Order: sequence, then C-alpha cells, then structure tokens
Amino acid sequence: MAESVVTTVPGGWAVLAGILLCGLAFFAVALDAALSARAQGTGGGWGAPLGRAARLLRQRRRSTVAADTLLWRIGGAGMLVGAFLMIAVIPLGEWTLADLDVGVVWFNTVDVMVWALVWLAGWGANSAHGLVGGYRFLAHGVAYELPLMFALVAPAIAAGSLSVGEVAAAQDGVWFVVWMPVAFLVFLVGVTGFSVWGPFAPALAADIGGGVLAELSGVDRLVLQAGRYLFLTAGAAFSVPLFLGGGAGPVLPGWAWVLVKSVLVLAVLVWLRRRIPLLRPDRFMEIGWVVLLPAAVLQDLVVSLVVVWKG
Amino acid sequence: MGLSGALARLAVRATRVLVVEVPGHWATRMEVEHQLLRRGWRPAWTPADADVLAVCGVPGPELSELVDRLWEQMPGPRVRADITSPGTVGSALDAAAALLLDTPHHRTDAQERAQEPEIPEDADHGGHGGMGHGGMDHGEMDHGEMDHGGHGGMDHSGHGGMDHGGMDHGEMDHGGHGGMDHSGHGGMDHGGMDHGEMDHGGHGGMDHSGHGGMDMAPGGIALAGGGEDRDGLEMDVLHLPLGPVLPFWPAGLVLRCSLQGDVVVDAEASVVDGAGAGGPGPGPAPAAVVWCDQVMALLALAGVEDAAACARRARDALLCGDEDAARDAVERLDRTVRRSWLLRSSLRGVLLLDRAGLERHGLPGHCRGDAHDRLLSRVERIRAEAGGTEPTPAEDGGVPWAVVPDLVTGLELASVRLAVASLDLDPHPAVQAVGHG
Repeated sequence: MAESVVTTVPGGWAVLAGILLCGLAFFAVALDAALSARAQGTGGGWGAPLGRAARLLRQRRRSTVAADTLLWRIGGAGMLVGAFLMIAVIPLGEWTLADLDVGVVWFNTVDVMVWALVWLAGWGANSAHGLVGGYRFLAHGVAYELPLMFALVAPAIAAGSLSVGEVAAAQDGVWFVVWMPVAFLVFLVGVTGFSVWGPFAPALAADIGGGVLAELSGVDRLVLQAGRYLFLTAGAAFSVPLFLGGGAGPVLPGWAWVLVKSVLVLAVLVWLRRRIPLLRPDRFMEIGWVVLLPAAVLQDLVVSLVVVWKG
Repeated sequence: MGLSGALARLAVRATRVLVVEVPGHWATRMEVEHQLLRRGWRPAWTPADADVLAVCGVPGPELSELVDRLWEQMPGPRVRADITSPGTVGSALDAAAALLLDTPHHRTDAQERAQEPEIPEDADHGGHGGMGHGGMDHGEMDHGEMDHGGHGGMDHSGHGGMDHGGMDHGEMDHGGHGGMDHSGHGGMDHGGMDHGEMDHGGHGGMDHSGHGGMDMAPGGIALAGGGEDRDGLEMDVLHLPLGPVLPFWPAGLVLRCSLQGDVVVDAEASVVDGAGAGGPGPGPAPAAVVWCDQVMALLALAGVEDAAACARRARDALLCGDEDAARDAVERLDRTVRRSWLLRSSLRGVLLLDRAGLERHGLPGHCRGDAHDRLLSRVERIRAEAGGTEPTPAEDGGVPWAVVPDLVTGLELASVRLAVASLDLDPHPAVQAVGHG
C-alpha cells in the first residue's frame, strides 16, 4: 500500500487499547449477570464481575495428580493473551496499533490458536471431564472454523484488501452488512464459537461438571474465564471495521462510533445467549457443513460477481 | 489488612456453593438453592469452584467418605455447612458467610493442609482429581474389591507420589497371586514404573494382558485398558463414575460408566449407601415439585438458562404454596419450551422409546417418545397440577434406577445426561429402593 488509510500509533497506546478491551468485556459480564439475576428473580447483578474476580483472586490455586501443569497453564493464560493480540489490528476510528497488510489473516490466525489453547486446558488437568470438554470444543471447531474463514473472505474481496483499515474505508457508501448479511451472521457464529461461549460452551457444560473448567480454581480459572469474554469482545469489535462501516457515523468522532457499535453487537450476543440452548457438537457439525459452509461460499460468490460487475 | 478485608467482603458476595443432597433430603436442598440465589450466590458444579460445601441431611458412611474427599479437593478458603433441616438453612448460610470472611482462619487451614505428610507435594491443594474422576466422584472407588491380602511382602509404603485414589483397583485381579513375592521388588518405584515392560511371562497362569491397570503413569494412575469399540476397532476403555455428587443428577444415584471416547459402552447402576441408609427424610415430595425439579435439570443440561430459571421459580413457588406465582411461572415455562425449535432440535431423538422398547425395559407409558416428548408431557402434567383444572392423572409409576444402565449403554456422555434427566426416575432412589427390594 502506498498510503495507509489509518494512522499507526506508537506501541505505548496498546495499554489504552487493553484497558478499553477490558472495559467492554466487563460490560459484557455485568450485562450477562444482570440478565441472569433478572431471570432468577433476584435483584442486582451489575456489580457481579467485581465480586467474581475478587473471589477467584482470593481463592487458592490447586493442582491435580499427574497434571500436565505447563500445558495446562499455557492453555488458560493463552486465552487471555490471544484476545489482546487480536485487537492489535482493529482500527479505533483512524488509529490502529498495527496496520498489517494481512490484518484479516492475523485475526484468523489468532482465532485458530484457540483450538490448541482450549484443548490444552482440557488435557492438562488429567481429568476425564476436562478431556471430554477439550474434544467437544475441537468438534465444534471443525464445524465453525471453515464457515468463519469463508465469511472473513467476503469483506476482503469487496475491499480488494486484507488490511482491516482498507476494509473499513471501503464501506464509505454502504456498509458490508447490508449486502453480505449471511457472512455477517456466520462471522458472529464463529465469534461465539472461538470464545467457547453461549451456545458454543458444551466444552464447559454442567453435564460434564464444567468440562475444561472442572479442575480449575483461583487465578487459573479467572484467566481462562476472562479470556473467553475478552475473545468475545474482541470478536464483536472486529465485526465493526469488517461489516459495520468502522468509525463511520454522524456527529460522534470515529473512535466513539467504533466503541458504540462494539457495545451494541456485544449486548445483542449476550442477550441472545440466554434463549439459545447449547449446540451439541455432534448436531452442530451437520449445521456447520450442510448449512453454514455452503451459505458462506455462496455469499463469497455473490460478492465476487458484484465486484467483477462493478469493474 | 484493609485491602484484603475489602477483597474478602467483595468475594463473599459471589460465593459458590457445592450442594450435596443426601437421598431423601430434597426439601433442604431446594431451600438451599432458593436461599443462595437470593443472596446473589451461585451453585458450584465441582469442588474446584466451591467456597462452601453444603451437605443437606446426614450422610451415611459411604457418602460421608465421599463428602470428606470433596472437602479435601476444595481449594480454600473453604467452609463446610452441615444442614439437617430446611429451617436451619438461613442461619447455616449466614454462619458460612461469616466464616468465609475470617482470613486468618483460612490461612491456618491452608497451612495445616500443606503439612499433611501423606499428601503428595504436587497435590497440596487437595488435588485428587485423577483421570476418570473429574474431581467429583472419588467416593466411587471401590477399595473393597481390592484383594491385597496375598501381597504380604509388597511394600506399599514406598509409593511416595502414588495416589491410590486415582487408580481403578477394581480392574486388578490380585486374588490369584497369593504366592507372588512382591517384596523382591524392593527398590522399585511403582509410581513411575511401566509394568507393561516387565516380563511377567514366567508367572504361569497370570494374565496381565487385559489389565491396563498395571500400566502405571507417573503419579500412579492406571492407564486405560483396551477394548473393541462400536466398529470393532481397538480403543481405550476408561472408567468414569457419574454421581452421586454431580450437578442436575438424581440424588444418590451412581452410574459407573465404561467409556470409549465419550461413548458409554457399559454401565452399572447403584445407590450410595445402599437402600434407605440416608436416614429419615421428610418423606416424598409433592409430585408437581418433583416434576418441576426434573424439568429444571433437563433444561439446565440442555443449556437454556432462562427456561431453567423459570422452572426453578415454579418449583419454589409450588413449594411455598404461592399458587398465583406458580401458575404464572408454569405458563411462561410452557410457552418457552413449546416455542423453542432449537431446544427441540437439541433434544430430538435422545433416548427414543417406542412401545416395544417400553415393554422390553418394563417402563411406564408416559416415558414414550424422545426426551423432547417427555419434556412436553411433563410440563403438561405440571400445568394440570398447578392450575388445578383437572384431577391429577393416575400416576403409573416412576422409572426404577436399575434399568438406567440398559437404557444408556451406547449413548455418548451428553446424551446420557439428557436421557437420565428426561426420565421420571424415582427421585430419591435410596428411599424408594426399599420398595424395589
């Protein structure tokens, strides 16, 4: 690229980006807790994330017999780190931390890393429940990952670039979500998938005593749980430059629009979760390959034809 | 101390409680669940996540041992609350909250635990969660079946890092080794030894080939044995007991599963402490309350949290006699369950029982269909009961726990859980089992 459409800021700003990500994730947890409290008929809930974090910080760590501790901890902490890697390429209005030519691929790379991380977290505890959970996640991954990749391709084709800033800038007329809604939906399915969250949480489900989480306590549990919400937040934020016009919007500056849109996407995801049952890996496999994958490929075809036709 | 005190007060607001129901003490368990939600607390699914261990009722000897193991596995700060009746739930939880704040007490507790010599160093946090135990089912290891009688010379004291808890001794047949002299293996480290490498050929009639239990992984946990899977291929077999302390699982029921992957290839059911050892409970629960409880468990396992919360509120309203609230909650539950096509697709085909299947297993007619059919018919029965519109339909009996192994063999773990929750299992097997012989 001769001239970039976004300004790359010095690395020190990464701290602010991290704080913003944590703030949004905090909002997601608080909203989820508030909705849960309302459903249970009990009051409050908004302060729950603080209490939960304090509880886990106060709790002691534990280990299991013959645990593969190194891999176990890598799995948990990796989730926390991965989400921060992901936001490096998301432009906040006109600023970005890293204006990679292949930003979309970078995002995809990080989300594929989750496969290893969740499985390792399930493997490391040397517990049958954790291992079953880890493999449940892999089965989900096989079903959501390919559709997600094809969904990521659509905006890149339309913008003629894999740079996230370019993709956002290419939407100055009409947002991509308008003429590639299927790709947008498949993308959101993928985001919930790699966050091991909501309908994609059978790996952590009650039927196997929490699965991957079954043996985790204290700060180890905290980093894995926080990592999931940070991934969800990063994924929701990534949908803004990809499909929702980036910082485009009236009155407010670009960075504010990115935040507002991210919060809205997050809120919808959190709200939907309470109504959707867990998608069982064996059954979702069929949906992933028979419905989502062809739909995403068709979407790519339509986008390609439009791009060729417009010349 | 100001900061740690503030942290503790904040932490106590999000307390998680591992609830253990002694069979028959459903009323205490439901009251605990009700009250902990009102405090903003949540139930824990495993000891690893629990701050409070709430034992509802007085456990028998087998369950007591299990509860002690669960207690050992809790990371701490930890508090145990023994609750014998629904009336004392509030004060017991208050006391637990107060004790949770006592940081010096927990520091002492932690130090005392770490100094216990018999606990391996790497497990000083009480980690007994060996393979196959998921951290919750330790009471299920049947050491009674171990026949070490003939091993007089065997030096068990040398097994420093070995956690016998994780081993499935049931698989080992040492009975015939009377004359074997294990004492000769003096310097051997059983913990790290691979018995598979040893030449046992000289031991005449001994057959170690099928006993994967002799292959020791570091830490002394038996490796999985092999067996033919559904396609006739060799695959590892792992023994995993489900219950008696497992979220959304019938109180007291224990299902010892043999797993290949996550498919249950063989299962064996029993009841903790045998029949009727749970002590005097408050008697059988009202039918509508039991059904609401079962519906809640099924919905929670399927992962529809709002609907499960609705079923719980209906249950609690029925229990305290608030008929209007109960009717509202049941109506909402009915609408939610009927409308959700995702729930239908998730439960469709789980443990499908036709007429022939019912007869073969000797099951009552209301079990017909799949898990979704049974869910709908049960919600329908709750509506009739709560609305008082029709007389209670003649109840043709629950499902005895003894048939569960036949029903779940061949299913994968998630389906097993949904299948068990979808059946109208006798809710408190230990109490009911008296009638079953």
